[in-house]
Amino acid sequence: MRLSGAGIGKIIETLGAWLLGALWLLPVVFAIWSAFHPAEYSTRFELFAPVTTENFVRAWSYAPFPRYLLNTFILVTLILAAQFVLCTLAAYGFARFDFFGKNFVFALVLLQLMIMPEVLLVENYRTISELGLLDTIASIGLPYMASAFGIFLLRQSFKIIPTELIEAAQVEGVSALGILWKVYIPLSKSTYIAYGLVSVSYHWNNFLWPLVVTSSVNSRPLTVGLAIFGAPESGVDWSIITAATVMTMAPLLLAFILFQRQFVQSFMHSGIK
Amino acid sequence: MSIIKLKDVCKSWGSTQVLKNINFECKDGELLVLLGPSGCGKSTTLRLIAGLETPTEGSIEIGGKDVSNLPPVKRNISMVFQNYALFPHLNVAENIIFGLKARKVPKVEQQKRLENAADILGLTDFLARKPAQLSGGQRQRVALGRAIVAQVSVCLMDEPLSNLDAKLRQEMRQEIRSLQQRLKMTMVYVTHDQVEAMTIADRIILINEGIIEQHGTPEELYNQPASSFTGNFIGNPPMNILVPDAQIIAACPATIFPSHDATATYLLGIRPEDIEIVQGSGLECTATLIEYLGAETLVVVQAGDHAITLTVPGRAEVSAGDHLAIRWEADKVHLFAAANGRRIETLTGAML
Repeated sequence: MRLSGAGIGKIIETLGAWLLGALWLLPVVFAIWSAFHPAEYSTRFELFAPVTTENFVRAWSYAPFPRYLLNTFILVTLILAAQFVLCTLAAYGFARFDFFGKNFVFALVLLQLMIMPEVLLVENYRTISELGLLDTIASIGLPYMASAFGIFLLRQSFKIIPTELIEAAQVEGVSALGILWKVYIPLSKSTYIAYGLVSVSYHWNNFLWPLVVTSSVNSRPLTVGLAIFGAPESGVDWSIITAATVMTMAPLLLAFILFQRQFVQSFMHSGIK
Repeated sequence: MSIIKLKDVCKSWGSTQVLKNINFECKDGELLVLLGPSGCGKSTTLRLIAGLETPTEGSIEIGGKDVSNLPPVKRNISMVFQNYALFPHLNVAENIIFGLKARKVPKVEQQKRLENAADILGLTDFLARKPAQLSGGQRQRVALGRAIVAQVSVCLMDEPLSNLDAKLRQEMRQEIRSLQQRLKMTMVYVTHDQVEAMTIADRIILINEGIIEQHGTPEELYNQPASSFTGNFIGNPPMNILVPDAQIIAACPATIFPSHDATATYLLGIRPEDIEIVQGSGLECTATLIEYLGAETLVVVQAGDHAITLTVPGRAEVSAGDHLAIRWEADKVHLFAAANGRRIETLTGAML
């Protein structure tokens, strides 16, 4: 059978997609395999190896994972809530009002986008320390709350809302904050969902800054807890580490699978890909 | 009683003046059309009345109260926007009562007005739909519904029909007119379409480059254009505006010109339907373009340096390249001063 040029292209595309998918999936598959099998099978594949949940039970009892999970949950919720409020108000200001030095201030905000958070590690630590907030959940979130990315994203999404809609609301006597609440926010829903996903997954997985700023079980998020748990000095037991890893990523993975359709749609609507 | 009054209103954007000394009044229950080409300042005038812009100079009164510095909500107006300004996340009913909610009208009253408006506009079956699920005409009706439930006396419309196809535009035009008369609304209606203006208006204000060219009834604008611009803008096909030379002057009785002063120069305006093709003597010309429109035929002829358009009822028995003679009655000629384009009364009476 002869294949046309387009047909071959299609096959290569499909193969490429599968290859990338498989590469991405490999560590996840390994983690799940290893987590559900006894230690001797952790690096050996045997189809009928005995399945066990013992690794989870052990990991759960070795370290205070429920507490870590709660910490992470509080952390991402706190950050997301603060980001939504701060970024919405800032973006509204930039998108709709004219004030002296607006472009300069906006340039400063954009500048923040170009600075890697790691560069500010020491300076941030000093600030948090002066605030007396070391080793608290708030201290992990604080540097990220006024997110330049969020401000930028929401400003763009506010700016494309037709002025006619705003004027229609104005004619009806809706106040400036009312317009934000009744027109801008509902019309930018997809941007909020997309940005929320990016923010939650980033902070769920964030490691370096929480490691630096936390020192007790009370504030440590899952990622740091897991790293300490898997540190060489505590002895490397892959089964338990992978079991703990699966527990860490499960909530996020589950949420994504459940809301997959909405997420993909919102990304398409908001124009970030 | 006039309900809207503009006094010496000027508006500038930076150093460009877009409106120069606009003065007009709109009576209670009147449909006033602001007509003009794109960028003439008609939409700006409407936005000034709405309070979406503030005048650089002058004052605006609505209902006998100076509202120049009041926000839109305090002006007791409703507005229909060009792109309907429907909120995509709200359904039809929510869109219609959006303003009532903002004004904190009691729920029962909201519902009553909504049902009434939906009934008038034939939207009762669509109340639960989102704007995206509606046709253009239905969206337009929802926008009208919003203006109706507001129950304010003044309704401002900014090119409300420009997004509809020709047939629907005509239907909606009639609907808006009958609605306005039934509900006795005072309406200021902006359009660039002279046919729309002629058919819908009680009075028309023709604006050009920020000044009012003429304010009058459609008949006045058509029959007695105050300037060559009005003559050319109103009517389809537009009035022929000719710079008279010996050939043209020979074609009309010289007595129509008020002054025989050689320095005084005129522009001559003749409507296409006032020109007839004659056998025998007349202005010699050659047909260059024939457009058959059904009820009439449009003939463009070349006479010397002048391209003249005329219309003939039914089908014209001419074809391009034919040599013709045309003529017009002296009392059909409009005279304008060449210097400023303003109307000059002809002396036809004296001639007759």
